[in-house]
Amino acid sequence: MITLLDYGAGNLASLEGALEAMGYACQRAENPAAAEAESLWLLPGDGHYHAAQRSLSESGWWAALQSRIRKDKPLLGICVGLQLLAEGSEEAPEAPGLGVFPGFVRRLGPGVKVPHMGWSMTGRTASHPAFEEDATGWLYFVHSYALDVSGCTIFSAQHGRPFTAVAAKGRVLGFQPHPEKSGAFGRSLLHHSLLWLGETPQEQK
Amino acid sequence: MPAKRVIPCLDVKDGCVVKGIQFKHLRGLGSPVELARRYDAEGADEVVFLDISASEEGRSTQESWVRQVARELTIPFTVGGGVAKPEDFTRLLRNGADKVAVNTAAVLNPELVRRAAALVGSQCVVAAVDAKRDRDCGWRVFIKGGKEATGLAALPWLQRLQELGAGEILLTSMDRDGTLEGFDLELLREAAKLDIPVIASGGAGTEMHFLEALEAGADAVLAATLFHEGTLPIAQLKQFLSDRGQLMRLEEPCKR
Repeated sequence: MITLLDYGAGNLASLEGALEAMGYACQRAENPAAAEAESLWLLPGDGHYHAAQRSLSESGWWAALQSRIRKDKPLLGICVGLQLLAEGSEEAPEAPGLGVFPGFVRRLGPGVKVPHMGWSMTGRTASHPAFEEDATGWLYFVHSYALDVSGCTIFSAQHGRPFTAVAAKGRVLGFQPHPEKSGAFGRSLLHHSLLWLGETPQEQK
Repeated sequence: MPAKRVIPCLDVKDGCVVKGIQFKHLRGLGSPVELARRYDAEGADEVVFLDISASEEGRSTQESWVRQVARELTIPFTVGGGVAKPEDFTRLLRNGADKVAVNTAAVLNPELVRRAAALVGSQCVVAAVDAKRDRDCGWRVFIKGGKEATGLAALPWLQRLQELGAGEILLTSMDRDGTLEGFDLELLREAAKLDIPVIASGGAGTEMHFLEALEAGADAVLAATLFHEGTLPIAQLKQFLSDRGQLMRLEEPCKR
């Protein structure tokens, strides 16, 4: 069972649809009390880093995430969900991040169109047991800020400068692109992530 | 740099896909979900839905087909048509749309774009602009599905939309729309000076027209009739553009 953190800042319908099509069971939770502690938590996020951070704090999720991270329980962040797992973001310098992945989230550009919107070639930069060695392909991105490349980066992409596309540390994974919106390759990465984080797909629908 | 995108556009009325030729003569073509699934399999990079329902009934069916499309598509999609307030953005995104397009309401109330961008982020705000050549101002902005002229010149309006926080421009040449004679390249060259991505729309009739639009600086190309009627398969178009030096996403279509 996957718990989708429903804090008002993620494209949940789209994620739910993808997970369902891939055969994974999931449920929304509006607050930590409604979440199954032993399940994989999926932290989505669209829009502003600060709005997301504030909303998570107000609904009690932030503290629950911090505690979860200390216990190394499975967690998957997507888009702003990945950015929240960094040390912080230039978009809201006053709001610290969850600090799982080293480095800061910085605005893209100058010299390139921002937001970075569309399909970019994404390649493996470090080995990780969740993914095949030769995994490289097109993923769909929609973002104006990006996490610097660090020792936790396992896939990177480029838009003006190289940035972290997928990061991993312990049982925490983060995707800057939307794997659920990235065709067959994206679905494959998402599938491998979920398997590695301990989920098992039910029958395919 | 991201790959150039090929985007089929579906006009939806009362939950069914229709396509107007120069904004007139509507014909029915099928369900949004069915067509979206087909385009996904053909290698479309994104799909745009413009809901042209005028009735309350059409509006209320919207939630249901948007949710269904969100479940079926493995690629992103934009929904526009009748978007008038910030809550319309949040509602459509909550139902699974990836981006929301706004046109008439942005002209009538430019602050809407700023508020929407603050609420959901610029990346989810697509500003759609219908432009028509005009002796006095180059291109004039039209609203209400191309039925009403405004006092706005298109080029300064595009600049303003960018400043207000639009994340992307969907630019339709009304002169070319439905003609199959090619995009308005002069308009695209001007629009390509913006810092945000521009989707070229209106006039595509051949593979070469798409190439010209990308060479004029468009980040994405959009068409409707040509794709709906199967005249030009999307996979063939993308291969053509890639062979002529454009960065395209080419991969096996999604099987699941």
